[in-house]
Amino acid sequence: MENTIYAGLSRQMALRRQMEVVANNIANMSTAGYRSEQMLFVEYMNEPDGPGYGNDDAVAMVLDQGTVRDMRPGPMVRTDNPFDVAIEGRGYLVVETPAGPRYTRNGHLSLDVDRRLVDGSGLPVLGTGDQPITVPQNAGDVSISANGDVSADGQIVGSIRLVEFDDELRMVPLGGGLYVTNQMPADSADTELRQGFIEQSNVLPIVEMTRMIEVSRSYQSTSRLLNDEHERQRQTIRRFGQMMTA
Amino acid sequence: MRSLSIGATGMLAQQLNVEVISNNIANMTTTGYKRQRAEFQDLLYQSLRRVGAASSDAGTIVPAGVQIGAGVQSAAVYRIHEQGTMEVTDNPLDVAISGDGFFQVELPNGDTAYTRSGSFQLNADGEIVTADGYRVNGPNAVPEDAIEIAINDSGEILVILDGQVEPQNVGQFDLAIFANDAGLEAIGNNLFLETPASGNPQTGVAADEGFGDVKQGLLESSNVNIVSEITQLIAAQRAYEMNSKVITTTDEMMRTTSNLR
Repeated sequence: MENTIYAGLSRQMALRRQMEVVANNIANMSTAGYRSEQMLFVEYMNEPDGPGYGNDDAVAMVLDQGTVRDMRPGPMVRTDNPFDVAIEGRGYLVVETPAGPRYTRNGHLSLDVDRRLVDGSGLPVLGTGDQPITVPQNAGDVSISANGDVSADGQIVGSIRLVEFDDELRMVPLGGGLYVTNQMPADSADTELRQGFIEQSNVLPIVEMTRMIEVSRSYQSTSRLLNDEHERQRQTIRRFGQMMTA
Repeated sequence: MRSLSIGATGMLAQQLNVEVISNNIANMTTTGYKRQRAEFQDLLYQSLRRVGAASSDAGTIVPAGVQIGAGVQSAAVYRIHEQGTMEVTDNPLDVAISGDGFFQVELPNGDTAYTRSGSFQLNADGEIVTADGYRVNGPNAVPEDAIEIAINDSGEILVILDGQVEPQNVGQFDLAIFANDAGLEAIGNNLFLETPASGNPQTGVAADEGFGDVKQGLLESSNVNIVSEITQLIAAQRAYEMNSKVITTTDEMMRTTSNLR
């Protein structure tokens, strides 16, 4: 008898989580290298037991099955900073963390105390051979070529490693623009770097706003459904009560 | 609901963005000012359904889990050291650097600071100083009876003394270049300090390999591009509004819930 309420409730819980995903997309509208996320819903069939229910009376609940990332590249903006690189293609940069390699699309790099090439959080960016790239002490002019070669004053000092994965959706975001995965990285041949550019977030604000309105309205209509159902149950009980006393 | 605080992080980030943009616009006509950019990162994620988890005993795995992010944080505000436009002033002690390099300025505490703002003056001793009276490294004092000062592209200062025909060389500006200009620390008054991120200064003189030319009678104005700043301001303001809409919508959803009987 409570199935209507439970189905509505499952919808509302899923909508709340979808709202959180939309909110996160909007909050990261200006985050370089950010990929917008979307909720994926599936139907969960529940076959209630009890008198009055046949085999075909399954109730469909909503289940949030997963979040999928939009893998379209974000727009590139020119920054003219020699340590900004935008990644063109499916590749990722590899950064070294105490917990193992992590992957990122955010190409806002800089130099640390040891003159190693590091990402925005200060984690060393790995070159081919999985070694950090060190820019020599007195280098005046640093350039990064499309295939990742880093040269200081015309001398190549290292090459940034670019990797790609079979299934990008299985990469787990960790925050700070980093991703982790248990898939083996493969060197990416057709990914290119653009020095002096940054890849912006690929969030489409208008899409997110419409999605938010949709979530809000669906939440309200489900809520109305629950109210109506409550009203129906109340009236049923009252009428039964009147019949009993009559 | 998490979306309330997610919306709040978004508003905070856009507020910082507006602050950086407004500082750029405020310094539109500051000599040697380099524009700044705010950089953001996504905050940590919470996995409600872990990706790659086993979904059956037959070895099937979850292809995409449910990860909910916690919003955005500011990662860095960095400076873009792009050449500013040159402005003709015809003042003999106004110099601009065309290309890479910074003038070295001696701070009162003995440290060296670096600047692109070449609006210099003479002090009582004839030394070349910045607008704040800090000595510029390189040139010696200009003699009192100098009637004309000429500065060439290499930053050499030639003075013509009263009654003489041959110009006299009183020294040359010391310049410095850095591997990572964006890593310099701004201390205000158009001055920068070296940091581990900028690397050690490589000193030299103008027109050397890797160094820019010194141009007399010109000033480098800020590299702020007003059109792009205004468009970014509009985008930041709209982003701020959208984040506040997230909070309003969340509020409405919560009200809907509390109105349920």
